[in-house]
Amino acid sequence: MSAHRWNAFFLPVAVLAGPTAYATDYLTVAQAQEQLFPGAQFGEQTLKFSSEQRDRIKAAAGVRQRNDEMKVWRAEKNGKLQGWLMVDEVIGKHEFITYATAIGADGKVLGIEIMSYRETHGGQVREQSWRKQFVGKSVTDPFKLDQDIQNISGATLSCRNVMDGVKRLLVVQQMFLKA
Amino acid sequence: MRKHVFLAAGLLAAALPAVADENLFGYVRGSEVLPKGSGEFYQWVTQRNNKGTGHYRAVDTKTEVEYGVTDRFQVSAEVNGLAVKSQGLLINGYLPKDIDSNLRLQGFEVAAKYNFLSPAKDDFGLSAYTSFEYGRLDVHSGQKKRELEFEAQLQAQKYFLEGQLTWVGNIGLRAAHEKRKAIADLPEDFEWPTDPEMEISTKIGTGLSYRFAPGWYAGVEALFENEYETEVGQERWSVFGGPSLHYGGKQWWATLTVFRQLRGGGERYDGQPEKQLHLIERTRNELRLKVGYNF
Repeated sequence: MSAHRWNAFFLPVAVLAGPTAYATDYLTVAQAQEQLFPGAQFGEQTLKFSSEQRDRIKAAAGVRQRNDEMKVWRAEKNGKLQGWLMVDEVIGKHEFITYATAIGADGKVLGIEIMSYRETHGGQVREQSWRKQFVGKSVTDPFKLDQDIQNISGATLSCRNVMDGVKRLLVVQQMFLKA
Repeated sequence: MRKHVFLAAGLLAAALPAVADENLFGYVRGSEVLPKGSGEFYQWVTQRNNKGTGHYRAVDTKTEVEYGVTDRFQVSAEVNGLAVKSQGLLINGYLPKDIDSNLRLQGFEVAAKYNFLSPAKDDFGLSAYTSFEYGRLDVHSGQKKRELEFEAQLQAQKYFLEGQLTWVGNIGLRAAHEKRKAIADLPEDFEWPTDPEMEISTKIGTGLSYRFAPGWYAGVEALFENEYETEVGQERWSVFGGPSLHYGGKQWWATLTVFRQLRGGGERYDGQPEKQLHLIERTRNELRLKVGYNF
């Protein structure tokens, strides 16, 4: 095969390299609600952020609040506030990572659930051993990889963004959700 | 024939369903390494064409396997192929005759990369890369030449916008020892030195890539190369630049880069039409496709 005939190589490889869907969703919102606030009743609300509010979130959390709206579910049991469930997206290496965070009335993380994760490495973010590191965290904690949150090799960007995302949600709760 | 079967098998493997030391760019490389125990298979195809006169087209292939020894250290091994078609252009000392060659084994390469800083964890990524290559063909003329080459590089990477925008920077030094094989039927006045020669070259590259949709990245990259040789001092310099398109899936990724020589200098051949380019050892255009498969 001579050099000029090698042009043909680019076409089939480019076609084979076309996109394929590989999305994997693990939990629905209802399932995340039941996992994080078992037996609770939920009231949905939508937070809308102005540009100035998003700037304040960024200043306090250290990362951008990408969207100007966020859905939040207030969890109550027998009329007593249990906390808030927030569903958010952060950037993974290729796709967005969707995760739910439960924050208690005291402003501390009750738990997190990874609702969809589609990356090559780092599937361990879904394991309880990684997720439970967030339990009890508040905005005053360091939120540093390999300091108070363990990094997962090959998925550092995903770990960093989920970790920063949880801190950002704590900031949102502190600023906009009051008991 | 066996070479074709080998390549076809390689490309097929790269195209299996549905990615870590993922290359967002064709020519410059980021600082990330594979995690311990994971591997990656690459297939590169690069086409170089247009020397301003006559018809010149070369195809380089690189089939590579990478493996993460630790979370910071990876090794790789490569088999390189070369096909050259050159007609209507003879350059004293460089292109001795017309050629239309099949894809042939060009050489082997082994490399290692050590990661000092992670771009996601430390905010700035930095790795050291080193490679050793044995070559048996001159990649410009397609003629026989024995080449031993050593390259060292620093590879930097920085994420912006939580990773939506990626910058990489490379700086490298390459040293090569080369010896051409004599060609029997050349005209008497044609120079084709067969004494061993040493080459030293420097490389500075940079690229910026933006994730415009999930899995899809569009970028631009540029590479400045300088080469010095024992006989002539500075032999050549060139600046290439161009756009890259990258797609990354769960296990595989592909990157296509269109690279064009923007400026160049050093030696020129007699009658070279574009004086602001270096067209003896470089071409005007390059096109590179890389496909990677994680395992």
